[in-house]
Amino acid sequence: GPAGAAMGDVGPVGPPVGELGAAGLAVDGSEDAAGAAMVAEEPPAPPPLPGLRLVQQGAEAHVYRGLFLGRAAVAKLRVPKRYRHPALEERLSRRRMAQEARSLLRCRRAGIPAPVVYFVDYVTNSIFLEDIVDSVTVQDHIYSVQKSGNDTSGLHKLAEKMGELLARMHDEDIIHGDLTTANLLLRPPTEQLDLVLIDFGLSFISALPEDKGVDLYVLEKAFISTHPDTESMFQALLKSYAATSKKSGPVIKKLDEVRLRGRKRSMIG
Amino acid sequence: MERTHRLELFPDRSVTLLLFQHVKNAAALRKKAIEGSIDGALVNPTMIVDPFQILVAANKAVHLQKIGKMKTRTLNAEIIFSLSPSNNISDAFKKFGISDSDTAVLIVLVVDGDKTVNLADIASQVEGQQVSLDELPQLTDTAKVKKMYKVTPQEEKIGTLLDSVVCRMSTKDVL
Repeated sequence: GPAGAAMGDVGPVGPPVGELGAAGLAVDGSEDAAGAAMVAEEPPAPPPLPGLRLVQQGAEAHVYRGLFLGRAAVAKLRVPKRYRHPALEERLSRRRMAQEARSLLRCRRAGIPAPVVYFVDYVTNSIFLEDIVDSVTVQDHIYSVQKSGNDTSGLHKLAEKMGELLARMHDEDIIHGDLTTANLLLRPPTEQLDLVLIDFGLSFISALPEDKGVDLYVLEKAFISTHPDTESMFQALLKSYAATSKKSGPVIKKLDEVRLRGRKRSMIG
Repeated sequence: MERTHRLELFPDRSVTLLLFQHVKNAAALRKKAIEGSIDGALVNPTMIVDPFQILVAANKAVHLQKIGKMKTRTLNAEIIFSLSPSNNISDAFKKFGISDSDTAVLIVLVVDGDKTVNLADIASQVEGQQVSLDELPQLTDTAKVKKMYKVTPQEEKIGTLLDSVVCRMSTKDVL
């Protein structure tokens, strides 16, 4: 869902959130005697930060904003999946946390804007990061620009900057793994198009053009499904990507191949 | 003058920072810290960019202490170790602890919520002048810090030196 939207103050922790597990089972908080595999998911307890606000209750993690050690921070608490074998769950959780932390450091060392890591807690599987205060997701920005009806040139410039940023990221062999317009933030003031990449929970390191191509494909699908009439915007993004990255040729080629492979594309007459 | 911060995640602990300049008895202080007559971490303030850096180190140290996973033997040693970007403990002490010839000292005290610490008592043991934490930036050796933490030029463009430092501290031991 869209990140960065404050959902108001957190009151007492409510009942477990009903969510769709990865196995496709509907997870219901209430007891169900007849239940086949109904498992209540235990939400993580909110961190005791001053000014705490729940930002997002995703399937993978609950995201909060608050003050940590005197700074505006984001706390991501992983949601344990009870249907998984505990050893697997622990390993997966740890690996995701580690990958996110590593990718964030790797990005920053390469000069790719991403939040600073403040604290990694392997016990509760939570990570405390820099909060980009008053930022707006690219998703929300595109919505509001399209709604107000003008400034399509601004969106073109934004697409160029996005392409440039992703090219630099891929040149460092960092695959984001979950590229959507909700995972790109714009620092205030929005007009400066100062982008920040977030949410590296599914990221990994790879030099393969295939992985980079898929990374872009994921973004393309997210773009088209979330933002109508943005084909030209994405084209501008790719053009800028190609111009910025020296290794872009094979990546774009793979992107084309993946597009052809895509879902619901039958080669059967 | 000193600054105290309660650790949000460990509300039974608070961290107090005291900064001293023109210190004449660094050697004696070091001994007292090792013996335990001063129950605090004695840090070299020239390696510290901002009090937040100390809080991040203290937070991590307390966390590791609570789960029994400290790399060093005491909380105070762990704080100094957490400041360092390296996994070598003696190297951490050499660079972030104080040496006998130092004239500036930053004392970090982690206190159990209820216990009152006699700050005046600690300050009286220092042959030097206590100054406000606001003076810290003047003591920081920025070039030395950049070198120690291996801050890249590209990185400097996207954030502050403190950002670079804290990021390395917190991800140092990530598998």
